[in-house]
Amino acid sequence: MKTGLFVGFILLLVPLQTTVLGSVSPFGIRPDLCLIAACLIGFLTGQVQGLIMGFFLGFVQDLFSASDLWLNTITKSGVGFFAGLIARNLANAASHSAFLVVAVFSVFSGVVFMVSSRVGMDIGDVLLGFPSILLPQALFDGLVAIAVYWVATRWTPEASSF
Amino acid sequence: MIGRVRPLVLWSPSTRRLVVVLVIIALVLLFLLPRQTQFLLQQVSKPVADLVSVPLEMMADVDRGVRNWWNQYVALQGMYEQNRDLQVKVQNLEGELNRLREHALASQRLAALLDFQEESAMTTLAARVIGRSASNWYSGVVLNKGEDDGVAVEFGVITPAGIVGHIVKVASSTSIALLITDPNVAVTGLVQRTRDEGIVQGTAQGYVRMKYIPPLAAVKEGDAVVTSGLTGGFPRGLLIGQVLKVGEREGDLFQTAHVAPVVDFGKLEEVLIVLPPPSSESTESIGNILTSQEKKPKDS
Repeated sequence: MKTGLFVGFILLLVPLQTTVLGSVSPFGIRPDLCLIAACLIGFLTGQVQGLIMGFFLGFVQDLFSASDLWLNTITKSGVGFFAGLIARNLANAASHSAFLVVAVFSVFSGVVFMVSSRVGMDIGDVLLGFPSILLPQALFDGLVAIAVYWVATRWTPEASSF
Repeated sequence: MIGRVRPLVLWSPSTRRLVVVLVIIALVLLFLLPRQTQFLLQQVSKPVADLVSVPLEMMADVDRGVRNWWNQYVALQGMYEQNRDLQVKVQNLEGELNRLREHALASQRLAALLDFQEESAMTTLAARVIGRSASNWYSGVVLNKGEDDGVAVEFGVITPAGIVGHIVKVASSTSIALLITDPNVAVTGLVQRTRDEGIVQGTAQGYVRMKYIPPLAAVKEGDAVVTSGLTGGFPRGLLIGQVLKVGEREGDLFQTAHVAPVVDFGKLEEVLIVLPPPSSESTESIGNILTSQEKKPKDS
């Protein structure tokens, strides 16, 4: 049952990202649901869970993205893993911590994509990705993370006392 | 901090260890041998993509239904329908006008001499846009036609108005097309009036520019830019856009023009994938050359 939930979650998140979020994209920027999910899962449940979920979410996202067939796989795995590591050293975390962690990882992941998608271009064009995509997306990802964090921590009250 | 919520996956310790080891091996291989691992991933990716395409198509239908309902019944009753019909009509007429203009120019210059059959014969396959690329860093769309329908990487994607982009990734029943506004797409273009060639490429800002226009070319604002047919994927004479501004800096070897694409990429719903012409059509008459015919997808 749990494995079914895991598979269902992975299979539904990317279609949600590619279809419905197309209609919810202020200034043409959509939140990266897979990054938010990998990051929060790592953050809330540990680096191993983050690594595994990040790997599979990134792989499926790669299938429906125009990028190379590994870029999301690697970045999402890393995001899930390192978010888990950071969470281990946080005594008191709240929604603002989730915002910060997701936004920072969104920036790191964005830099990887910005460099890889703009190979051979003028440095000015490459850096233009900062104000036009990278920073707005980081902000958007962080804000969505606050909402997801709030829901996730309230829907599983029995685990909150851990 | 960890443990605020229950893990989504509650595998046994041995299964968990196995999954972690496999994931780590896969990541190490991706780092060390990215090219070789891509081949393996492509084999695995096709059935997974087919599986994901089922909820994807369902969500696309729901999304389309909600959007249609909103646009037609809530936002602008009647006006939306009328506007959309007129826009489609204008786009079709623009495409038709461009084709006729191109045809007339070609006929005037080279009627008896040139063999346009190979460069302009066009077989197309209709496809529906079912999603947008899952990343903000690439301007792409997900199409509901894939390898099973005869689609392959590098095939051109167009609408009746003009060109859209080309296919970069193919699964059995879906494919990803990168739009002409993406910096990673470049096609050879031709200024229709002056016949000067250049490279049309997307930019990081999201518009399109035509580079390497000869310095003495008298290109001006409003000139139509069409495909030259020199690069794969597109036959000659398909409208790309109109010149917005010609930039020329002192000392530059070439001119560069900003081009406004004729296709509205924000409202793409249906597109045509350009298939390579079958060899049996080599005896087609010139009258049929600039006519696109829709090929029915294979029964599957």
